[in-house]
Amino acid sequence: MADADFQRQALQHLDALYNFAVYLTRNPPEADDLVQETYLRAFRFSHRFQPGTHLRAWLFQILRNTFLTFYRLRERETAIAEDGVPDWDVPMFHDTSTDEGGALEAHTDLERAMRRLPEEFRTVLLLAEVEGMPLEEVARVMACPVGTVKSRIFRAKERLRGLLKDYEKK
Amino acid sequence: MSDELRGPEDDALGRRLAAELPRYTAPARLRVGLVAATDRPRRPVWLAPLIAAAATALALVLFMLPVLPRIVPADPVQQVVRAVVNEHSRVLMWDARQPKIIPGDLPWLSHETGIDLQRAFVGDDRLTFVSAEPVYLTRQRGLAVHYRDVDGHLVSYIMLPAEPTFTMNEGDRVAIAGRWRPMLKRDGGFVTWVWRQGDVACFLVSDMVSQDDLERFKDYFVRVRVATEPTIAY
Repeated sequence: MADADFQRQALQHLDALYNFAVYLTRNPPEADDLVQETYLRAFRFSHRFQPGTHLRAWLFQILRNTFLTFYRLRERETAIAEDGVPDWDVPMFHDTSTDEGGALEAHTDLERAMRRLPEEFRTVLLLAEVEGMPLEEVARVMACPVGTVKSRIFRAKERLRGLLKDYEKK
Repeated sequence: MSDELRGPEDDALGRRLAAELPRYTAPARLRVGLVAATDRPRRPVWLAPLIAAAATALALVLFMLPVLPRIVPADPVQQVVRAVVNEHSRVLMWDARQPKIIPGDLPWLSHETGIDLQRAFVGDDRLTFVSAEPVYLTRQRGLAVHYRDVDGHLVSYIMLPAEPTFTMNEGDRVAIAGRWRPMLKRDGGFVTWVWRQGDVACFLVSDMVSQDDLERFKDYFVRVRVATEPTIAY
């Protein structure tokens, strides 16, 4: 694929990537940086992209890996459950406090509940339900088997429902 | 979504997520910045191989550096001066290898070096004799006599057979006491008086490089030059 073509096609996914980045970082300036870094990497390593495969999944995979690489160090270390999902109710990346500069406020209970999900759960719901990606693509982005993706979606929704009920009670 | 895990509640929540979760659109400046970044002129295709070739050549040169021919001074006297200074530096750091005394060891020194001392400066109130020893410099045997002055400067007097290439450069010559005109050579932070005495090339080396020291060094030259008479023994 020619460079110009590749770049043009890659930029078609900018809004989707930015939306994903905002939900991962919860901070628009950081989302900006994350998306920029994602595109820089994608353009630099465009020769590694196999034409015919899904460019969107490849870009999301780069963004998520970049996020995990750059942001993991900031976060506290926590125990990981057997299926790789942290077994607690607090987010894996970034606390929900809004005292950080540029942090985004949640407007709805649904958004608030999404923010409280661990990164693996949040990502799997965003990709499968919001972006409408097939499970195979989600599995590629998350570098795990399709069965694990299904399991995470199930558990993510279960946890999301629980959080939404808590908000309704309040 | 999976059939076995997905129930009506899951479907409804999925639809709710797709419909109600706010979507954030990339700011215009981000789009503009990325487009501008993609429009930047790229490096010419020939540049990468050229840089790679240059880097390879540089690596080869660095690898071969130890075996490449060294640039040596064109002036033969300067080559000898460098060897003399090196020998002086060695003695300065590690002392003489075979310290001998004069005049007691003169016969042995003369036999070993091929240089005979008819008269020898054995020190005075300013310069104290330290040792004498045979040396081998620029493929020639020679004789080195070391003194130390009252301030602790080591002064080495080295004598070698004068080769045909040994010539006195007029530009380097300095008049001393209206009687002698040795050459003054500077090399590696040392100064050397160079002169010819018959068939013997003589060198007086020290680290007395400052202007005041140099005046004293002239005086040392006079003391050594007047009292020493080297000749080729055989």
